[in-house]
Amino acid sequence: MEIEISRRRFLQGSVALSVIAASESVSFAEKNDTKSNIISSYGISKTSKDGFSVPTLCEICVNKCALLARVENGVVTKLDPNPYFPKSKNMLCPRGNAGIQALYDPDRLKFPLIRDGQRGSGKFKRVTWDEAYTYINEKMVKILDEEKDNRSTFLFCAGEGMAEETFKTFYQVFGSSNWLNHASLCLQTVTSAYGLTLGAYPQADFENATYVIMAGANRAEAIVTPDTMDLFKRTEGRGAKLVYVDPIFTNTAAKADQWLAIKPGTDLAFVLALTYVVLSEKLYNESYVTENFNDFEAYQEHILSHHYTPQWAEKITGISAATIEQVAREFMQHAPQSIYYPGRRSTFARSDFQLRRAMAIFQALGGGIDIKGGLVFGKGLGLSAHEEVTPIYANSKARAIKKKEQVTKGQAGYEDCAIVSGGGSWIGWRNRFLEGKMPYKVRGMFVYKHNPVLNMPNTAKTIEMLQKMDLVVTIDTMPSDTVMYADVVLPECTYLERTDPVKTFGGVEPSIAQRNKVIEPMFESKPVLEIMRGLSAKISKPLFEVAQKYDEDIASSIEDSSYDEVYAEFDLTKPFTSSQEALNEHAVAKYPDAVKSLKEKGVYYPEMQTFFKQLSANTYQHYPEKAKAYTVNAQKPKTSSKKVECNLANLADKGVDAMPTWKDDFEFIVPEGKFRLITGRHAQFTQSGTGNNAMLRELISENYIWINQGVATKKGISFGDKIEVSSTTGKTVLKAYPTEKIGPNMVFFIHGFGSESKGLSLAYRRGGNDNAVIEDKIEPVYGASVMHETNVTLRKV
Amino acid sequence: MAKYAMVLDYKNCINCKACEVACKEENGVLLGEHYHRIWVGVNPIKGVYPDLSIASNAFYPSQCQHCENAPCQDVCPTQATHYDENGVVQVDESKCILCSYCMVACPYDARYVDERSMTIDKCSFCSDTRLARGLTSTACQATCPTKVRVFGDISDPTSEISMILKTREYFTLKASLGTEPKLFYLK
Amino acid sequence: MLNAILPHKEINLKSLFSFEKTPFNLIMTAVTILLLTFFFTGFIQYVIHGHHAYGVTKEHPWGLLIAMYIFFVVSSTGLCIISSLGHVFHIKSFEFIGKRAIFGAIITIVSGFCVIGLEIGHPIRMVIYNTISPGFTSAIWGMGALYSVYLFLIIMEFIFLSRNEHKWSKFFGLGGLLIGVAAHSNLGAVFGFLVGRPLANGVFYPVYFILSAMITGCYLLFLMYGYKYKMQFNDEMKTFLMHLGRLLGLLIAILIFFEFWRFLTAIYGRVPQRSDTALHILHSGNFWFGEVLLGMLIPFGIILYSKAKAIKATIYASLGGMIGIFFMRYDLVHDTLLYPMQTMKLKEYQLAPSWVEYVPTVTEWSIALGSLGICLALYYIGENFFFLDPDKEDDYFKHYVADEA
Ligand SMILES: Nc1nc2c(c(=O)[nH]1)N[C@H]1C(S)=C(S)[C@@H](COP(=O)(O)OP(=O)(O)OC[C@H]3O[C@@H](n4cnc5c(=O)[nH]c(N)nc54)[C@H](O)[C@@H]3O)O[C@H]1N2
Ligand SMILES: Nc1nc2c(c(=O)[nH]1)N[C@H]1C(S)=C(S)[C@@H](COP(=O)(O)OP(=O)(O)OC[C@H]3O[C@@H](n4cnc5c(=O)[nH]c(N)nc54)[C@H](O)[C@@H]3O)O[C@H]1N2
Ligand code: SF4
Ligand code: SF4
Ligand code: SF4
Ligand code: SF4
Ligand code: SF4
Ligand SMILES: [Mo]
Repeated sequence: MEIEISRRRFLQGSVALSVIAASESVSFAEKNDTKSNIISSYGISKTSKDGFSVPTLCEICVNKCALLARVENGVVTKLDPNPYFPKSKNMLCPRGNAGIQALYDPDRLKFPLIRDGQRGSGKFKRVTWDEAYTYINEKMVKILDEEKDNRSTFLFCAGEGMAEETFKTFYQVFGSSNWLNHASLCLQTVTSAYGLTLGAYPQADFENATYVIMAGANRAEAIVTPDTMDLFKRTEGRGAKLVYVDPIFTNTAAKADQWLAIKPGTDLAFVLALTYVVLSEKLYNESYVTENFNDFEAYQEHILSHHYTPQWAEKITGISAATIEQVAREFMQHAPQSIYYPGRRSTFARSDFQLRRAMAIFQALGGGIDIKGGLVFGKGLGLSAHEEVTPIYANSKARAIKKKEQVTKGQAGYEDCAIVSGGGSWIGWRNRFLEGKMPYKVRGMFVYKHNPVLNMPNTAKTIEMLQKMDLVVTIDTMPSDTVMYADVVLPECTYLERTDPVKTFGGVEPSIAQRNKVIEPMFESKPVLEIMRGLSAKISKPLFEVAQKYDEDIASSIEDSSYDEVYAEFDLTKPFTSSQEALNEHAVAKYPDAVKSLKEKGVYYPEMQTFFKQLSANTYQHYPEKAKAYTVNAQKPKTSSKKVECNLANLADKGVDAMPTWKDDFEFIVPEGKFRLITGRHAQFTQSGTGNNAMLRELISENYIWINQGVATKKGISFGDKIEVSSTTGKTVLKAYPTEKIGPNMVFFIHGFGSESKGLSLAYRRGGNDNAVIEDKIEPVYGASVMHETNVTLRKV
Repeated sequence: MAKYAMVLDYKNCINCKACEVACKEENGVLLGEHYHRIWVGVNPIKGVYPDLSIASNAFYPSQCQHCENAPCQDVCPTQATHYDENGVVQVDESKCILCSYCMVACPYDARYVDERSMTIDKCSFCSDTRLARGLTSTACQATCPTKVRVFGDISDPTSEISMILKTREYFTLKASLGTEPKLFYLK
Repeated sequence: MLNAILPHKEINLKSLFSFEKTPFNLIMTAVTILLLTFFFTGFIQYVIHGHHAYGVTKEHPWGLLIAMYIFFVVSSTGLCIISSLGHVFHIKSFEFIGKRAIFGAIITIVSGFCVIGLEIGHPIRMVIYNTISPGFTSAIWGMGALYSVYLFLIIMEFIFLSRNEHKWSKFFGLGGLLIGVAAHSNLGAVFGFLVGRPLANGVFYPVYFILSAMITGCYLLFLMYGYKYKMQFNDEMKTFLMHLGRLLGLLIAILIFFEFWRFLTAIYGRVPQRSDTALHILHSGNFWFGEVLLGMLIPFGIILYSKAKAIKATIYASLGGMIGIFFMRYDLVHDTLLYPMQTMKLKEYQLAPSWVEYVPTVTEWSIALGSLGICLALYYIGENFFFLDPDKEDDYFKHYVADEA
């Protein structure tokens, strides 16, 4: 019989563990046999009568839904939705509910660790925080000394998170210029394209729209709030007609009125043809266009003269011309209460940037901008900024990008791409690092809440990059695949154990929300703010010494004033001295009652007291209809010209089409016998972050590869057969799922599985890792990753 | 004395399974795919790519029906399965002898064996957790992103659930068996 | 002391282990010990792993042990019915075997209780709450209560038979018969009351149970006579067994008739779950080889072909018949659960639920087969401790005693 250990026992266990001698070594290398029974040790018990709730915010994915964490005898027993937050509208998704299992995951990083074997061997020894900081300090001093205080010799990279800013502050005061984040793996092209075209990345008012085209976004499974909730409440005359465009039949397709099985990567042709119909039939909103478009004629001429007809698009997209005409006409009939949904992840094809521009312009043709039922900008509630000290280091080099040697006008200026953004091109950067094409040596990296090994195409190359670094420091909660390659592992506590920077959420119903600490950090884990405080205290002086050595200005300044005065400018500890609570109080000081409301309700917005009401068992009013910020910019786009930018001449200078144009080489060829690989989300999984979550693991224990039923039958593949998927990049093995939900020349599997970290007893080698096979192609404008342009072969094993 | 029931606006269900996780955490349902008080069913899709029938892929969230004429209660030899004062079909752990007769008798597959107590467990309308704390919602209802469920007292004609049942068409599952389920699916 | 209540032979270890060392007896001893070992290991497995040791699942909560239990109680009821033909209804040729048959009825139901005790999750709790919190609408409760009374009555019957007090034995015999039939049809109702299980629901099972119990009784009687007389029968005995054979033939014919219409009505009109299940059963080997061929056709063929005169063949066929009866019990449980109550996929990555499968574990097999060892051992003990044959002094049986070889 399996032995049941309650959460409480797990906690007691933790206390016992924490007094174990400091020299204990931790090995993730050998498979721990007792862990195969792990399921039984996850405490699952009924909630009881005694307890209280702490309002806080979820961090299992980007959405930051508000929740009420129930605490009973010091143990978090239940996470409930917090109705006060207009963004998450009184819901918690399956992952949000399962957050408890992240908190009490026995595999959590509990103590600081230092590598105790080959990189990647998974062998670490347990150390004290001070030992970890000392180790980092020594390495940093050595490297910076050797690199003559070029601070950019350290790369800082982070995944999305509420405390990302804290880590970014460390990067800024440290003085590096190499910052990379998830953007180029995620939403870079969509936010930029909408930004350049409409002046901002808008939100969709699904509550009031009557017609929605959703393409390349699977809102029933890739949950985004409040979009998912608003879009799928579709009974009682609510909700819009939903046209869903996706090469595979997802759960969103199951909820759609019409599903268009598009050929992957051809959405641009689809939107251009929609635009063609609207322009040639003059279905657009003439007055809106006349008033709010720049270069409309040029765009019209561009579309019509290129003959982007529905017949032309039918051949490329596989969607019939008649359907394209129907959708274009219906969209405009419903405009401005119609939405072409912008989507979020836009790392699909090389045409991504232009696609999103075409979508934005198409939306604007109907006038559905900054208007109820259309795409909206909404209002924001500003927070007071904190003072920042950003010392300037004379020897710190500019970002490690590479300009092309000879650039003629009209060509991309950089090796990776045409435009360099704040988030940078992760893949471009990594590949140049490996190819030795960096302008200077980069020798160390800090990774915060990010798992590039699993989340970046071409896993082998990411591992190679980590192997080549002289120092890798990871700050994580779990022994992720990336953590396995670290020299120093700093355990952050989970989101339920810390207060994070207060955040403002703009929109139709703007609010401010705060993550409040629910229980004290377990083991020796700490919030990143305290980690940065400890680390900076250790390294601040020694690094200043290095700076002093190579920066003549510093030496002379000291002579002019005093050591202490100059050091004060370079004191890295300053931004981290205050507590998070104090910082948050300062940030919202201008709103009366905000501090109290954030503490007691987790949420604040002016007039919440009078506005907030429960309307029925499930529905709440946050703002009365009159007070909702549908229109904030007189229905105009937010660009500096206040016009929709059809024609971006300055982009043309950089080698980017000024207007969305279909290129023949956008058409991707799938050779006979091969399959185009597509990846995506699942409602019970977050990228690589929930792989070890016992609750979610049980709902979806591994990913399967979708293979068209007919193809599978022909190849003799049946459900559950093991399939080896390979490409020029590598291979991975997972089980087969023959289904009619996917077309014959493509395969699909959910991203985030196939972990190789032995520290993750549940995630280890479960399912397949898509990024082991996805080729590291990049999109030409921002250097964002192109994840759906890999051909793979299948082999039954 | 209430008479608790639930309506499901099931057409809004997106098969996210938040309800299942919420139920497990609230009611201490064991991990493991066979242990569940609540589930979402779906039939294999009909058609050939790309001509698929969207309607064939509907999602059916379900749980114990709290039958008014419950076969599980009829067959229980020790009255472990009983109706509580609110008409909720409950299992008294201390009386259950694990004869499994109720599992065989339930037409909805709503019951499973809890491996800790080795007795039968199933949806309790959160009676001993949330209702016992004075809440009037169930965990599955509260968490649902698309608000599929409304829980309430059908003996009170003014309750939200009674109003819904008065104004909207609904059906019950396996109605021909005469079990009189108290889970109402809105058409 | 005990002798005053129940006449018995000397009860001590020596008498327990003294038996004629014939090859057959030695084989039977070895088989019994082997089976008892099975039971014991199964029991240990159950103690260590509880229900985890069984192959029963959420979809198939009942399995081999329930089937084995039913097999035993069917045998018990069958023996009780057939034996009562003798000393309750005074059909002469059935009287001689009466005491032995009643003893058989006792030990089979006790073996059945041993099995069900390991199937019920909480047997002690069962005794308590079946008494203080009875579920009167539950067929299981009814069956449990009736079988307890039944066991009491047939033990009393056995005691009075042993004491040659035939007025009382007849009284308890009649009581045992009535309660046994009631209990047994209740067992049928355990299945017949399942509204959600289309093939089980209805009147068929309660009636079918009584019918198959009588067939089982006949098979067992053939086996007992064959064993007792070492296959050598005098004329009178032959006539009796011929009559028994004819009765058996008639019962089987009725059963075949029953089954035929059961399937035809189930399939006719194609009522979704019911006809699907019936058709599925018609595709199973268990049904054709186990139930139909061994359980019905072979014995029926022999009886029909020889006009019930081929007694030895019938005895051998009865052995097959008992195996067939076992298949009937096993299939009864399995067929009831065959059609899944959950027909939808609950996870993306699974195949849609189809026919519910069940594979008994080694533990279940050990207990099920091992329980036959209990039965054999009890029989042996009974043979050594009690007087299973009619008392030579008893006038009542005089005409048989004279014939004994
Ligand atoms: N449950 C859950 N929710 C999440 C996340 C999570 O991990 N889990 N992650 C969050 C994050 S970080 C993000 S960025 C978002 C991502 O949200 P989405 O971008 O909506 O999600 P994806 O599943 O990555 O991709 C959406 C769909 O695009 C389809 N697709 C692929 N190629 C094409 C194409 O060429 N054309 C069209 N029209 N469709 C195509 C895929 O089949 C897939 O169904 O989700 C957020 N929400
Ligand atoms: N093939 C393929 N690749 C993809 C995608 C895809 O669809 N297909 N999706 C892309 C997208 S949209 C995105 S946004 C990226 C996401 O990629 P990442 O930003 O790497 O996000 P996660 O996979 O969620 O990994 C987060 C890491 O943070 C850790 N973590 C979780 N909580 C905390 C915490 O509180 N503190 C700290 N310090 N660490 C924590 C987790 O253990 C995990 O190691 O992946 C991209 N990569
Ligand atoms: S969508 Fe789910 S996982 Fe993401 S923040 Fe909200 S509750 Fe958490
Ligand atoms: S939580 Fe709601 S939408 Fe999600 S599966 Fe359950 S009923 Fe369906
Ligand atoms: S659904 Fe099943 S378990 Fe629930 S009351 Fe009805 S018969 Fe009983
Ligand atoms: S298993 Fe328990 S609840 Fe079910 S019928 Fe038997 S005693 Fe009653
Ligand atoms: S009502 Fe409560 S016990 Fe029943 S399924 Fe919902 S959450 Fe679970
Ligand atoms: Mo993302």
